[in-house]
Amino acid sequence: MRAKPAGPLAVAVAVEYVHAASLVLDDLPSMDNAVRRRGRAAIHLAYGVATAELAAVTLLSRAFEIVARESAIAADVRTRISGELAAAIGASGCCGGQAADLAADPASVVLDELEAIHSRKTGALFVAAVRGGALAGKASEATLEALTLYARNLGLAFQITDDVLDVQGDPERLGKDTRRDGHRANFATLLGVDSSRALVTELLDTATASLSPFRQRGVVLADVAGYVRDRRS
Amino acid sequence: MPPRPTLSQARAKLRELGYLESRVERFVFRRALQGIAALLLPVVFVGALAVSLAETASVAASQFRYGESPRAVAVLFAHLFLAAVLPSAVFAALLLFAAGRSGRPGRGAAAFGLLASAGVLFLWTFGTLRLGPEAAAAALVWGIPVSLVALLFGATARATFLARAFAESGRLPERPRRAILLLAVAGAFSVAAVLFATRREPAHPAPPLPARRGEAVLVIGIDGLALDSPCARDEPIARRLSGSSIGWWETHPASPAEIWTDLATGVPAARHGVRALEWVRPLGVPPLRPPAGASWYLRGLGLAVGTVSRAPVSAWERRSLAFWEVAASAGLPALAVGWWASGPWPGAAIVENRDVLAQSANGIDADSVAIREFERRFEGQSVAALYLPGADILRGDPRARAAALARLAPFLDRWIARARSGEVALVLLAADSHPSVGSHGRMVVFDRGTVPAAGIRSIRPVDVAPSVLARAGIPVARDLPGGAIAALFRPGSLDTTAVATYGERVAPAATARPETDREYLEKLKSLGYLN
Repeated sequence: MRAKPAGPLAVAVAVEYVHAASLVLDDLPSMDNAVRRRGRAAIHLAYGVATAELAAVTLLSRAFEIVARESAIAADVRTRISGELAAAIGASGCCGGQAADLAADPASVVLDELEAIHSRKTGALFVAAVRGGALAGKASEATLEALTLYARNLGLAFQITDDVLDVQGDPERLGKDTRRDGHRANFATLLGVDSSRALVTELLDTATASLSPFRQRGVVLADVAGYVRDRRS
Repeated sequence: MPPRPTLSQARAKLRELGYLESRVERFVFRRALQGIAALLLPVVFVGALAVSLAETASVAASQFRYGESPRAVAVLFAHLFLAAVLPSAVFAALLLFAAGRSGRPGRGAAAFGLLASAGVLFLWTFGTLRLGPEAAAAALVWGIPVSLVALLFGATARATFLARAFAESGRLPERPRRAILLLAVAGAFSVAAVLFATRREPAHPAPPLPARRGEAVLVIGIDGLALDSPCARDEPIARRLSGSSIGWWETHPASPAEIWTDLATGVPAARHGVRALEWVRPLGVPPLRPPAGASWYLRGLGLAVGTVSRAPVSAWERRSLAFWEVAASAGLPALAVGWWASGPWPGAAIVENRDVLAQSANGIDADSVAIREFERRFEGQSVAALYLPGADILRGDPRARAAALARLAPFLDRWIARARSGEVALVLLAADSHPSVGSHGRMVVFDRGTVPAAGIRSIRPVDVAPSVLARAGIPVARDLPGGAIAALFRPGSLDTTAVATYGERVAPAATARPETDREYLEKLKSLGYLN
C-alpha cells in the first residue's frame, strides 16, 4: 500500500459521500422516518423531503465523480472501485438490504434473514470502503481477501452494536432517535443484549485476527475495530 | 414467532455464513491450498538453484583454473542445475510426505529447513575441500552467494513444510523458528571460512632454478611389476632389479595414472590432482572432476543422454610439476615418453601416453613403441623418463606378459651397463597399480660407485621425484613432502641445496587435445584400462 495518498483518500471521501447519502435516505418518512441525525434535525425535516432526496442523489453522483476523476489511481482500478462501490449501493448492497429490511416481519425474522439484511445494508459499504482503499493502494488479491474478511466481520459487529445501542443507548449521546428500530428486525431483540454483545466481541476479535498478516501495517484498521468495541454512541 | 436462538446457535450460524473465522491461515498458507504443484515447484526450483550453485562454487574455487572462465562456470552451472532438479524433486516429495504426517509442524519445518540449508553448505564446503586446494579467498567469495541461496532454500523448505502441514491437518506451528536458519547458516559459513583459511596456500611461481649439469639421469618405469608377489622369483627381469641400491614402498590399489603421477611429481594425488583415467566433460566446458552430489548426472545420466562426454586423463588436470618439467624449467634438456598425464612443456621433449598407445595393439607393442621413441630422442638429454606399460596391460595373459618382460631384458641390460660405466644414472621404478596384499613398489638405482644391495631401505613414493631431481643437480623444493634419498646414489652426487617451491604447474595454452580424446579412450578400453 505505497500508492500516493491521494488515491486512497479519494476513495475514502467517495465512500463517506455514499454513507451520508444512505443516512439521508434512511431517515426519510418512507424509511425510518427519523427526526434527528447527529444531534440535529434530520435533513428532510430541515429542508423538506424533496431536497433530502435530491441531496442524496447528488452525494451519490459526486462520490462516483470523485473516483472517476482521481488521476492518482490507474484507470482500470478506478473502474473496479466504481463497480464495487456501485454494487455496495445497489440491490446487492444498501438498497437491497434496506428493501429486505422494510419487507421483513420483525416477529418472524430468523438469523439468516437478519444477517442477509445487515450484510447488505451495512456490511457491503464496509467492505467497499476497505477494498476500495486497498485497490487504490495496489493491494494484491491475497491482501484483498484478508481485508474483506476484516471488513465483513467489522461491519456485522458495527451493526449489532448499533442494534444494541438502539435498545440501550442514550439518545442524547447517540445524536439520533433510539428504539425506533423496534419495529424492524434487530439482533438485540432477536438474540438478547448479552448474546449480541458477546457476538460483537468475537466478531471484532476475528476482524483483528484477519489483520495479523499485515503486522504493523494493520494497526490503523485494528484501531477502527477497537473503536467499534468501545462504542457507546 | 420463532424461538430465540442461543448464543452458540447464533455463533454456529454466523460461522456457517462466513463470519467469526479470520481464516488468516488460509491467507498465509494460500499457496498450500492451491494444490501440491504450487508447493512442490518452488522447493524444486530453489533447491536445484541452491545445489547447483554450491556444486559450481566447489568446482570453480577448487579445480585448477576453472574459475577464471566465466563462460565455463556459467555453462557448468546450467548443467548442474538440470542435474539438481531430480534430487531436489525427491527432497521436495519427502518434505511434503513428512509435512502431511507431522504432529509438530514447527519442529518438522525447522528440521527440514536446516537440512536444506546444511545440505547446500555441505556440498559447497565438502566439495571445495575434496576437489582440491586453491586460495581460501576464492572459495569464500563464492560462499556469499552460496550462503544466501542456502538460506533461501532453507526458508523455502520451512515455509513449504508449514503450508503443507496446515493444508493437511489445519495445524499451525507452536512458535516461529526462523532465526535458527540464519544462525545455522552463519555458523556453517564461519566453519567453512576457518577450514578454507587453514588450507595450504597455492605455491607462487618459483624463480629460475639453479642446476648443475652432470651425468644424464634416466628413469624407467615398469608398470605391472610387483616383485614381492609369490611369482616374483619367476619374473624374467627380477634378477636384474635386485643387484643394486633399492628403495621400496608399500603399494595400494589406485589407477596407474595416480600412482605414476605420484612418482613423477613427488606429491600425493590430493595435491597433483590426477586420480582417475577418465574425467567428464559436460557439453561446452572443460573436463572436470564431478563435484559432490553431481556424479549421478556427470557419470550417469549425462553420459547416457549425451550432454556429458568422457575425457581421458591428461596433463590438463595435473597441478604439480613432474620431475622432467622441473628439469626443463631449470634449463636442463628433458625427455618424457609414455608417462601418464604428461603433456607439452617448454624445453622438454614429450611423447604423450596417448601417442604411444595410439601406435600399439597390445602391451608388447606399447613397450616397443615407447622404447623406440625413447631411444630416438634420448641423446643429449639430461633428465629422461620412460614409462613401460606392457606388463600391466598384459596382466591377464601370463604368457604374453612373460614374453613382454623378456623382450625388455636386453634393453635393460644395455642401460644398466651404461649406468655401471658412469655414463648415466639409471633409476628403475617397478610398481603395480593392481598389487596383491603386501607387495611393494621399488626404486632400483644403478649409479657408478653404488654398493650392490647395500642400500635396501624403505622409502615413500614421494621420495622418488626429489631423489631424481637432486641427482640431476637441481635443488629440491622444501614444500615437497618427500626428500632425496642420498644413500641410494653415488656418494656426493646429489645436490643438497633447496628452494622454497617449484610452484604450481601452469600449463601452456594448448595442452588439451579433445580431437584425439575419443580415440584415446577407445584405446584405453581396448587395452583393458577402462571397462
